[in-house]
Amino acid sequence: MNKLYIFLKYFFIVVWTVFVVAPFLWALTTSFKDFQSVNGGVTYIPWVDFEPNLEGWKVLIKSPAKGGVDIIEPYFNSLFVTCTASLISIILGTLSAYALSRYTFKAGFVKNNDITFFFISQRIMPPIVLSIPFFLFLSSINLLDSLTGLIVVYIVLLMPIAVWIMVDFFNKVPREIDETALIDGCNPYQAFLKVVLPNSIPGLIVAGMFCIIFGWIDFFFAFILTFTEVQLLPVKIVALNSSVTPWWSLSASALVSVAPLIIVAFIVERYLSKGNLSGAIK
Amino acid sequence: MAKIDLSNISHSYNPNDPNPVYALNPFSMTWENGNRYAILGPSGCGKTTMLNIVSGLVRPSAGRILFDNKDVTDLKTEDRNIAQVFQFPVIYNTMTVYENLAFPLKCRDFSKSKTDERVNSVAETLNLKSFLNSPARKLTADQKQLISLGRGLVREDVAAVLMDEPLTVIDPDLKFRLRRNLKEINEQYKTTLVYVTHDQNEAMTFADNIIVMSEGEVVQTGSPKELFERPNTTFVGYFIGSPAMNLFESEVSSNDSVKINNNLIKTRTNLSNLKTKKIKLGIRSEFIKIAQNQNENLVDVNVEKVEDLGNYKLITAKLGDFTIKSKVTRETEIPSSKVKLHIPADRCCVYEDNKLI
Repeated sequence: MNKLYIFLKYFFIVVWTVFVVAPFLWALTTSFKDFQSVNGGVTYIPWVDFEPNLEGWKVLIKSPAKGGVDIIEPYFNSLFVTCTASLISIILGTLSAYALSRYTFKAGFVKNNDITFFFISQRIMPPIVLSIPFFLFLSSINLLDSLTGLIVVYIVLLMPIAVWIMVDFFNKVPREIDETALIDGCNPYQAFLKVVLPNSIPGLIVAGMFCIIFGWIDFFFAFILTFTEVQLLPVKIVALNSSVTPWWSLSASALVSVAPLIIVAFIVERYLSKGNLSGAIK
Repeated sequence: MAKIDLSNISHSYNPNDPNPVYALNPFSMTWENGNRYAILGPSGCGKTTMLNIVSGLVRPSAGRILFDNKDVTDLKTEDRNIAQVFQFPVIYNTMTVYENLAFPLKCRDFSKSKTDERVNSVAETLNLKSFLNSPARKLTADQKQLISLGRGLVREDVAAVLMDEPLTVIDPDLKFRLRRNLKEINEQYKTTLVYVTHDQNEAMTFADNIIVMSEGEVVQTGSPKELFERPNTTFVGYFIGSPAMNLFESEVSSNDSVKINNNLIKTRTNLSNLKTKKIKLGIRSEFIKIAQNQNENLVDVNVEKVEDLGNYKLITAKLGDFTIKSKVTRETEIPSSKVKLHIPADRCCVYEDNKLI
């Protein structure tokens, strides 16, 4: 019975690993292939099945004049927009969440929970509904096709995530912590900064992770709100496609585009395994 | 360290409602500097509200609070210099034990050497010395509560240390030792300690003054002895003491005697000015003994059961429809199912409308 259990356990782990890793391996080998190796039948092993070359990768950094696509600038644009928007969203979101968790707001029938729901409802709406208002809004303040404009839009998209996660998190941090800090001599701001916030680092990390993921993978708004001046990575990757699908450079760009998320996942995982997210309260 | 005056304090959590519900009904009280007080009462009687009002976490709907005759009603919590320990451990997870204990001093800009000295002294008292450099979150629940307690005691100059059932999560052995430590701290530093509890034994052993509360009302304040021997109301008689006070519905028969089931019981209370003849007679089971050679205040009862509770025997008997309980020494022989019990006149408390006369 026990042996069967262990066998099944490892069997499913192997199946799952193959399921998760195979696409990456496929992309990795494909990125080193040329036209012949991709279209000339099934090949897997470099140097045996096909002769690897760096053409797929070189295209990504060559300037368009030399027949490349140059994803370096869009890459850093994406990094900049995602990180800035996430950071601002986390700061604003955390402050709003703390207020929503600790103080009572009332305007007619609108109370704390309604305000929290209002934030979340921004994400329930299909993004397409927002596209025209965003377009008109950015064009009216002259921020279409600019990084600043994208950051503004991404804050609108990411802040609800931060508020949603942090309200829930702060609700689980006992009020007595704030009260104790006040009794110990902090004013309400110090109590928040010195006591509540350090206690909420796990929540901040989770919120930050979601903001970065959702910001990084957005294609829709990056596509609609930019034209020629600035481009973000997802838009550029899609632009790689042509009448002859360049599987090699698409694979290479797919790998570089998931790299930051893998790094984020890795950091969060390390943090998780140190037990910092579990039992943070109580 | 300060004298704390609560003057006409009352509090409602919904004061703007047409029918506000009062968590605390108006009361006035003075806590003298350096005394130990226990606030005792069942859950939801307003004990915690009272503490929060003193610490400033709750602003009373009416009344004033004075620390050493200075009005602090509108002063913020952080400016009141008060310490409060909650029922469940509250620790700063991201800090070490030392940093936790030093936090109240750090917030008030104490010098490094003074902080060191105070933290070490408190850690010594609470047996936390060997953990000072460990992360606070790694400790067990009762050690965490010791940290909370330590943060409350680390400042010497606080107006009072307010404790809201602080020993609930601590195991009985340590509890006993801590209560003694708290008493020592109080005697040594003359810190005013206010201790909220629903456990009468805890209150009795800890405090020199007990404030008994019921449904938002302060029903009696006094020493453990006073509360035990002369409960102001039938509630206090019932709530304090184990078993609860014997209470009999009875009728006044003369100026100093009452009738229970045709038994005449003399009391030392003057009963001539009562509005009604219906009263309640209260007597602690500790004072009821098997009659030896007394010739008055005797009642014949049917013994229902005798429990041996280790250091005493508890007799439960029937006096007509009433149940009467008597605590006697272990050695006492209970002759048969029918015994005569003696109710000493000087121990009888007479209640009209549940209030002591």
